[in-house]
Amino acid sequence: MTNHWVDMVNADVVMIMGGNPAENHPIAMNWIQKTKERGAIILQIDPRFNRTSHIADVWAKMRSGTDIAFVGGMINYALAKDRVNWEYVRAYTTASYLVKEDFRFHDGLFSGYDAAARSYDKSSWGFEMDGQGRPRRDPSLRHPRCVLQLMKTHFARYDTSTVCGITGTPPETYLKICDLFTSTFAPDRAGTWLYAMGTAQHTHGTQNIRSYAILQLLMGNLGIAGGGINAMRGESNVQGSTDQGLIFDALPGYMKLPIEADRTIEDYYRRVIPVAIDDKAANWWKNTPAYFVSLLKAWWGEHASAANSFAYDYLPKLGRGFQGAGYSHIPLFEAMLAGQIKGIFCFGQNPAVGGPNSNFARSALDKLEWLVAADLFEHESHGYWKRPGVKPADIRTEVFLLPAAGAVEKEGSIVNSGRWMQWRFAATKPLGQSKPDADILTLLFRALKTAYAGGGARPEPILHLAWDYGAEHADPHAIAKEINGRFLKDVTAPDGRTFKAGGQVPAFTLLKNDGSTAAGNWLYCGSYTDQGNMAARRDPTDAPNKIGLYPNWAWAWPANRRILYNRASLSPTGQPWNPRRWVIRWNAAEKKWEGDVPDGGGPPESINPFIMTTSGLADLFAPGLADGPFPEHYEPVESPIKNPMSSVQYDPVIKVWNTPGLDAIGGPDRYPIVATTYRVSEHWQTGAMSRKMPWLVGLMPDAFIEIGSDLARAKGIARGDRVIVESARGRVEAYALVTERFQPFWVQGRVVHQVGVPWHWGWAGLARGDSGNLLTPHVGDANTMIPEFKAFLVDVKRKGDA
Amino acid sequence: MPKAMIQDNTRCIGCRACMVACKAWNDLPGDTGNSFFAGAGYQNPRDLDPHNYTVITYTGIEAGPNGQPDWVFGRLLCMHCVEPACVSACPTTALTKSPDGPVVFNSWRCIGCRYCMQACPFVVPKFDFDRVVPAIHKCTFCADRIKVGRDPACAQVCPTQAISFGERDDMVKEAKRRIATAPGRYIPHIYGLDEVGGTSVLHLSSVPFEKLGYPTNLPDKAPPDRTSQVLHLTPKIFTTVWVSMAVIAMIVKRRFRFWAHDEHEGDGHGEGHGSH
Repeated sequence: MTNHWVDMVNADVVMIMGGNPAENHPIAMNWIQKTKERGAIILQIDPRFNRTSHIADVWAKMRSGTDIAFVGGMINYALAKDRVNWEYVRAYTTASYLVKEDFRFHDGLFSGYDAAARSYDKSSWGFEMDGQGRPRRDPSLRHPRCVLQLMKTHFARYDTSTVCGITGTPPETYLKICDLFTSTFAPDRAGTWLYAMGTAQHTHGTQNIRSYAILQLLMGNLGIAGGGINAMRGESNVQGSTDQGLIFDALPGYMKLPIEADRTIEDYYRRVIPVAIDDKAANWWKNTPAYFVSLLKAWWGEHASAANSFAYDYLPKLGRGFQGAGYSHIPLFEAMLAGQIKGIFCFGQNPAVGGPNSNFARSALDKLEWLVAADLFEHESHGYWKRPGVKPADIRTEVFLLPAAGAVEKEGSIVNSGRWMQWRFAATKPLGQSKPDADILTLLFRALKTAYAGGGARPEPILHLAWDYGAEHADPHAIAKEINGRFLKDVTAPDGRTFKAGGQVPAFTLLKNDGSTAAGNWLYCGSYTDQGNMAARRDPTDAPNKIGLYPNWAWAWPANRRILYNRASLSPTGQPWNPRRWVIRWNAAEKKWEGDVPDGGGPPESINPFIMTTSGLADLFAPGLADGPFPEHYEPVESPIKNPMSSVQYDPVIKVWNTPGLDAIGGPDRYPIVATTYRVSEHWQTGAMSRKMPWLVGLMPDAFIEIGSDLARAKGIARGDRVIVESARGRVEAYALVTERFQPFWVQGRVVHQVGVPWHWGWAGLARGDSGNLLTPHVGDANTMIPEFKAFLVDVKRKGDA
Repeated sequence: MPKAMIQDNTRCIGCRACMVACKAWNDLPGDTGNSFFAGAGYQNPRDLDPHNYTVITYTGIEAGPNGQPDWVFGRLLCMHCVEPACVSACPTTALTKSPDGPVVFNSWRCIGCRYCMQACPFVVPKFDFDRVVPAIHKCTFCADRIKVGRDPACAQVCPTQAISFGERDDMVKEAKRRIATAPGRYIPHIYGLDEVGGTSVLHLSSVPFEKLGYPTNLPDKAPPDRTSQVLHLTPKIFTTVWVSMAVIAMIVKRRFRFWAHDEHEGDGHGEGHGSH
C-alpha cells in the first residue's frame, strides 16, 4: 500500500475493485465503515454481489478478467469530461514527455513485437532525448507524441458502449461509477483504490494495477491522505515476507538478484543502477551499492571485504529457469513434473490445494525424491502420497514433516499491508517438540555447515555465512537487529554526527558501500535502533495533522513514512491540495517538515515526489513492462468471446505451456461458463489450519459453488444439489448454492454466465470436498508469472445428469 | 446499572467472528456434522441450538426496478428482556434476571420443564436432548465477563463495531443518534427499545425487521405482568412439580432424543413437537 489501513478514514470515495475486504480483510471494513459514516461513498466492482457489496453504496458487476476495459473506460471518461487534476498531472507525472517517433500501437500490439519469440523489442518505447540526456517535454501537453496525447488516443477507444459490451456492466451503473469516482479530481477530494488478488491473479494482472495507478494519477490521488494505490495483502505477513526477498528474482529491500551475465559486482551495478533523466529526480536506486554491500556484510561478515568484492561471488546468480520462464511457481512445478527437481522444502504453503491446476501440482509432487515440510498439521502437500485415487506404494517420495510452532507460540514481527512492522510476543510455549521456523532453519544450517566442513562443491558461502542468532534457538531480536543494520566501524556522517562501531544504524541514508555498515534490509533501517525496538511501540498519539498517522505506533518502512510519495500532497507551489487533511508541511521558520516523514531529504521543491523513478515523476507511460507501456485489454486465456478491442486474443507475451494431458486450455464450445475462484471468511487460504478447526468447519462444512438462479434454472439445478464443475484440466464435485448474487452478463450481444468456486477444500481436514484449483489454468501474468486464478472456463451440470 | 448491546446490521459484514468468539468463550463444540448450509446464504446452523448461542442469518433482498440487490445480515441471540417472560415462567428460578442485564441460567435448579421455551417471545432457549441432567442453553450475555468489567465476547471481537456494548441508557441514546444522523441508512425503529417492555439487545437495521424474519407482532408490554401473579404460586408446589416432572422427563426423554435425531434430516423443530 502507498497508504495504510487507518488512512481509509480520510477518503471521500473508496473504490474496491478486485478485492472483497469484508470476507478476506474484515478489519479493513472497520475503517471503510468509519469513512462511510463520515459521508464517504463506497464503490465496489465485482463479478458477484458479496459480503462487501452490502456495505457499498454502488455495486457494479463486471465479468472476470475485464478490469482494463472497465478502468480504461474510466480513464477515457476522466479525460473526455476534463475531470483531471491538471496541475498535478503536469507537475508530477511524465504526461509532458515526448515519446520516440517510431513508437506505435496498432491492433492490440505495440511496436517491436516478435511473434515467434512472443516478446517485444522495447527500443521504440522510450522518450525522445535532448543532448543532455533529458526527455523533450511539451508542458502544454498538446504535442501529438507527448505521453498525455498518446494516452488520450489509446483510451479513446474505450467508450462506454464498447466497455460495457466487454465487461457486461449495465451502462447506467457504469456511468454512475465513473461519475462518482472521478469526482475526486477536485484537489480537496480524496479517492482511495483498494484491490487484492482479484486484480493481480490474471495474465494481465500487472497491467490491471497499472490502469488503476494511471487513473489515480489523473485524479491527483497519490501521495495524499485518503488516496493511494492500496493492495490488501491476502495473508497477515505477506508484505513482510515480500520485503525480505520472498520473490525469486529479488533480494531483501527489492534489490534485484544478480543474473548469470553479472559476472562481477561492477557488471551488476551497471545493469541495475539507473541513470536519472530529470534534474530533480532523487533516482533512489542510485544508492544501490550502499544497500547491496551492507546486505553482503550482514550475510558474510568479515568474509565480505573490498578485496573479494564483498563476497559478491557467494550470491547465487539467477539463471533463465525451466524453458526460460524463471523460477516462479508455475515453471518450478513444470520443472518438477519434468523430473528436474529432486526435492523441495515446502514451508508455509500447500501447493496441492493452493497452486493453479492442482492435478498438475499433485502429479509434479509425485515425481520428487524427497520433500521437507514444517507445518502445524499434515495437509495435502505432504499427504499427497495417500490422496484419494492414488496407491501410496506408487509414490516414491520420502516425506519429512517437521512440527512447526504456531503464530502465537513464537515472538517476532509481522508487517501488515500498510507497511507497519508490528512486534508480537509469544503467548505460549510451542507444543511438544514443535519449533519456530527460525529454530528449524538454525538447526538445518548447523547440520549443513557440519556437512560442508569436510569439503564439497563451493563450501564457502555456507561455511562463511554469518548466523549469530543463537545455537539452538534463534533469537528474533538478534535477527531484527541484523535486518535493521549496525555500524562496523566508527562513522562520521556528512552532517557531522558520529556513530560508534557496534551501534545500530538509525537511517538508511547512513549506509555505506565501503563495508563500514551491515544491514539485512535497507528498507528496515530505523526499525530497531539504539533506542530500542520501534516495532514494539504502542503509543496511540496522533501526529499534529490528525489524519491517523500514529507515528509512534509500531514502525513503518521506509523511515517510518506512513504515506508514500507524500510530497505529491503539496501543489507545485508547496501548499497542501487539501489544507484540512494535510500530510506534510514545511515550517519555514525552523526549516523543518511537520506531519509525516517526507520522501527524500531537503526542503520543498528540492526533489520530485516519486523518488524511485529515474525522472522523479510518476510513469504514465511505462517503458519497462513486458507487455506494453499502456494497459490494453486482452481477454483471459480462456474466454467466452473474441477480443472486441483487437485481433490479439490474450496477452501477447505470456508463456502458454503445453504438457500433454495436464496443461490443456479449454474453449467456449465445450466450456461456455466463466468461472472465478475466491476465498470465504470462514476458511484460511488452503484450509490447512481452518479445516482442522471444528468451529469454522461447522460454518463452512463443504465445498460449494455459487451459481446464479438463471443459469441454475437452465441447468435444472436446485439449491443443495450436488453438481460437477469441469474445466479442461479437472473436475470438482460440490454443493450448488443458487443465488441472486450472481447475475448473468450481457456481453457482445448475448448472455454470458459466471459461477464462483471457493477453493479452500481438500481431503486432509474435517471439511469435505476438493480444491477449486483443480479447475484453474497453468498460465501466469506476463510480468510477474502470478497464476491466472480468477478467470477461466468451465461447464456445470447436476451430478448424475449426462 | 443495566447494560445493553446494539446489534447494527448496517455495519455487520456477516463474517461470523461473533459466532466463533461465542463458542470459544463458552467452550462450545464445533458442528462438524453440518452439511452444506442449513439456512439461506451461508447460514449455519439453521437456528439457535444447545451448541450455538448466536447465529448470523443471511437475507437476500431482491433489487427494485432501479436499485441493486442487497444482502442483509441479522443475528439471533437471547434478547435479555428487561422483564423476561422466561424468568417468570420458570417454576424453579433456574432462570434469573441480573440487575446489570443478563438473564442467567442456573443449571442445578433446572427440572427440564421447558416452560421458558414456551414463554420466550423470541423462541430463544434451547433444550439439550443429549444430556442426562436437564439443561436449557442460550446466550449468557457473557455475564461472567460483564461482572469483571469486560464486554461480551461477541462485542469484543466484532471487527466492524456492528456490536456495541455499554449502559442501556447510553446505548439507547447512541441508537437514536445513529438513526437521526443517517436517516437514509436506517429504518426508523429500534428493535428492542419497546418490544415486550424493552430488551437488552437493541437491533438497528437497513430493512424492515419482518424481512429479516424477526418476530414483529409483539406487544410493548411485558408478558410477565400478567403471568407472574399466577406463576408466583409455583414455589409452593415446587416439590410436587419437581418429582412429577422428573418422572415424566425420564420417560419422555428417550422419545425426544429419538425424534430429535429423526428431525435432524427433516424440516421441523424437534423441540416444537416435544411440547405437544
